[in-house]
Amino acid sequence: MNAIILSLSIVALAGLINASFSLGVSVLTLLSGNSLGLKTSHKHLLNLTASFVIGVVIITILLIATTALVITSASHGNLPIWWWYVVCLVMVVVGLLAWSFYYRPGKAGTSLWMPRGFSNFLYDRTKATRSSAEAFSLGVSSVISELPFIIAPLLVSASVLIGLQSGWQLLGLLIYTLFSSLGVLIVWAIVGSGHKLSSVQKWRETNKRFLQFSSGAGLIILSAFVYVYIKGVNL
Amino acid sequence: MSIITTDDYKREKLHDSIVSACLSERAPEGQASQFATEVCKGVENWLDIRPEVTSDDLRRVAANILGIYHPDAAYVYEQQAVTL
Repeated sequence: MNAIILSLSIVALAGLINASFSLGVSVLTLLSGNSLGLKTSHKHLLNLTASFVIGVVIITILLIATTALVITSASHGNLPIWWWYVVCLVMVVVGLLAWSFYYRPGKAGTSLWMPRGFSNFLYDRTKATRSSAEAFSLGVSSVISELPFIIAPLLVSASVLIGLQSGWQLLGLLIYTLFSSLGVLIVWAIVGSGHKLSSVQKWRETNKRFLQFSSGAGLIILSAFVYVYIKGVNL
Repeated sequence: MSIITTDDYKREKLHDSIVSACLSERAPEGQASQFATEVCKGVENWLDIRPEVTSDDLRRVAANILGIYHPDAAYVYEQQAVTL
């Protein structure tokens, strides 16, 4: 039972780390602002933002389930010790990268690491989004675009989940999805309840360095924990 | 290296952007339009003595003027370009 709780705690922490990478929140903030600026009805605004959130949730479930399936198929359900070292190394490298340039150094606002051409493309797509289907795709795209960073929490969670029984795997999958989607769920609730978007963006801008530090530190601490645990189990 | 973009000044485009920023901060429609008109006037005065400005300059000046009338909308307007 302790091993199950430990595994689910690792998955929950990885989900929280995933949530601290905030491309989805940025896109949802822009989408909401743009929709309000076009005099969209509150019902349509809620439809658009709900579709975006559903897109984020579904692609997150698919990504973690697919990653777990690929790892299971490749390892026949029995992970070699070196795999865990690779996962730890990936977490450390991504943690250091997050510290270095997740938010563009020296820039105002919440400008992210992406090449400017791609960020302009996402910006234009967000501004052009009018239907629920487009908003859904935008949610999917925003998660996939963040893969260079969320690959680390995805890998560790999937690796941990495949060691659990199927019922616990399902629970772990839901925990990861819920925790990793917390950012967009909170912004969705704020927009839906009629609050100003400037308060969301101001909070993000004020706390971006803290979020950046937390995500990097979270990955490095999780990596150290997994490394020590694996070494301990093998002794 | 940063790429500086220039564009012809279009009053309607600026007006719409300001109205959109005000509405996104849930300002009433009439007030949003009034603020946008004031911002356009202020920007045009500023442009009078400048033959060429960058779109970044225009955004900064427009945001400064809008800040007099609606600071939150000015913040949102300025942040649009640096959110992603």
